Amino acid sequence: MENSFRTPAQWYDGQNAIRHEGEALWDGSGTLSLRGFSSELTLPFADLQFGEHRGGELVYRRTSEPDFRLILPEDLPPGLAAKLPEKKVYGGWIDKVGLGKATAAFAAVSVAAVALFLTAPDWLGPRVPQSWERNLGDAMVGDFGNRLCSTPEGDAALAKLLDAVDPDEQQVRAGVANIGMVNAVALPGGQVLLFDGLVQDAETPEELAGVLGHEVGHVRERHVMTALLRQFGLSILLSGANSGVGDTVFGLASMGYSRDAEREADEFARERLEESNVSPLGAARFFERIGGDSEAEENSLVGWVASHPAPRERAQAFRKAAEGKTFAPVLTAQEFEALKSMCEDDPDVEEFDFFF
Amino acid sequence: MHYEDMQADSAFGFDGNWKDFARIAVPNLLLTIVTLGIYRFWATTRERQYLWSHTRFVDERLEWTGTGKELFIGFVLVLLLFAIPVFGIQFVSQALVMRGYEAAGVALGLLPLFAIFYLTGLARFRALRYRLSRTRWRGIRGGSNNQGLGYGISYMWKTFVGYLALGLLIPWSMTSLWNERWSKMSFGPYEFNAHADSGNIFARFLLFYLSPIIFVVGGVIAAATGALAGYGLGGEDGAGIGALASFFILAIFFYFGLGVIAVAFYAKFYREAVGSTHWEDLHFSFEASTMDWIKLLIGDVLIVMFTLGLGFIFLSYRHWKFMIENLEANGDILLDDLTQSTTKTAKHGEGLLDAFDIGAF
Repeated sequence: MENSFRTPAQWYDGQNAIRHEGEALWDGSGTLSLRGFSSELTLPFADLQFGEHRGGELVYRRTSEPDFRLILPEDLPPGLAAKLPEKKVYGGWIDKVGLGKATAAFAAVSVAAVALFLTAPDWLGPRVPQSWERNLGDAMVGDFGNRLCSTPEGDAALAKLLDAVDPDEQQVRAGVANIGMVNAVALPGGQVLLFDGLVQDAETPEELAGVLGHEVGHVRERHVMTALLRQFGLSILLSGANSGVGDTVFGLASMGYSRDAEREADEFARERLEESNVSPLGAARFFERIGGDSEAEENSLVGWVASHPAPRERAQAFRKAAEGKTFAPVLTAQEFEALKSMCEDDPDVEEFDFFF
Repeated sequence: MHYEDMQADSAFGFDGNWKDFARIAVPNLLLTIVTLGIYRFWATTRERQYLWSHTRFVDERLEWTGTGKELFIGFVLVLLLFAIPVFGIQFVSQALVMRGYEAAGVALGLLPLFAIFYLTGLARFRALRYRLSRTRWRGIRGGSNNQGLGYGISYMWKTFVGYLALGLLIPWSMTSLWNERWSKMSFGPYEFNAHADSGNIFARFLLFYLSPIIFVVGGVIAAATGALAGYGLGGEDGAGIGALASFFILAIFFYFGLGVIAVAFYAKFYREAVGSTHWEDLHFSFEASTMDWIKLLIGDVLIVMFTLGLGFIFLSYRHWKFMIENLEANGDILLDDLTQSTTKTAKHGEGLLDAFDIGAF
């Protein structure tokens, strides 16, 4: 290998646009000398940085003078080439490990990240403290103020119903919302709403107990937080795709639970009903009604049915739980009636107009 | 004294080729996919390095000195300073609506829209500034000491006024914003200045502006004629078919015709805007005719279609080549006086522009 040579060179000093032309000389030491008519310079190799490779030329910069440019022909003698900083292609460490390995490494990390992101709601949701969820729910939906129907008798009946399906010390907050749809929702923060439409549709208080138990199950099994996290992740993925004010919390509330979650909530409801000696036949009857006959096609029902397991199958599970048992009525006729007339009798209840 | 004779063939030249570009663009695409998009900042940088280094101005190539890292930082800044606050505002505004403060909630929800309007102008300005400050020619760079905050305001009110008078002031708002933007930029010690005159493009704009009306009036007449002709041929059924066929032809004509006229206006605007931009003793011109633009756009569509979309990676190459090949400059440059720019440079890249997905030029 030669240890000295000369090669044509061009350089700009970074202060003005004048091009200097001449030779780059190397005598085997740690510096490179540039000799031209208009400029002479000596550069330590350590000061040089690789700039770029362009059409037959290599461009170097100086660390101490960022806009200085040295342009050398690409066919440099190997001795000098070894002294100069290495070429960069992809930048950073991709050059060091090679494109193939870097691609594989990136792909592996990405797949892991996506898997983590997609499964996060399932393992993170149940671990979020209940108090956080309650605060978050309060921040998102508040307490609905006057939009919930309330009469002393109706409230008492609802409390009795809730006692049957939510024996916990700190109960979920349940209310009857002044909305005509046949629906019920579990909202972030442990709030459960029965829509007035569903209350009117119910033929027995046991039906309401079953639905309420199901929604309480969603809260207790932490499905709401899981779904909330899933929705949050989705909104990050779609970043801004659903940015309208119109996508209110009901978008969040009606977000789909998985079928497993629905079964868990059903199971929760059955267990509570059994403990409280309330007939699960009401719930079975309800599912049969919404899924069993042609009325199931009614629009108001589709929303509730769509994300849930087949109603027939669910009804059977409830029916089976009733076999060979006798039950006490969960509400008296007067109490059931008070619940039914709750929205009508509440003098100052407001409309839930902005949802629909 | 070092003079550059600008009478040479063309001041700008491009000597890249698509096969070399593919060697950059294809690995870029691969790396961008496996990094879930994060590599795209480095990909953009590599593309620009290629495009810039194959672009000649007079007797020296351009150089792109921007880095992927600074683009990435720009992106992260936008995320932190804009996207997350907007997310928070949405949350609060929904909560307000839920609590019955509909008006306050909606007003708060509109705030980000205003912010986006302002930031669009700001982003355009800062992207141009960023690109000039990362471009080297003979070791010299450009830039601006202006932060573009005032330009963001100008962008808001000029765009608003442009649409106010039934859109008739749009040419004025476009040229005026071009002038304002470029007059705040410099390269080396010299500032750019631009005096694009909306009067010169107004006739073209009127063509664009009035043609829908002409189309509609003409279309109704044509449809009626078609229906009549159909009626003559086949009674009432014939009339329906005739009218339908006329509307169909009209719809095609409407989209393509309007598209072509929009391109015609844009081509004229670009010639006017670039042609009235100066840099010290140098004045620029842009040669692309409406036909050139149409060929470019049809070429884009065909390339993307026939490669099942993969060809989109060549679009930046095509557009840059188109720009450079149509760009001309005349005048003198005194190289001794062409000293290094003293403008401040931002440490981060064009994150805003990236976020809003708009072009810089």
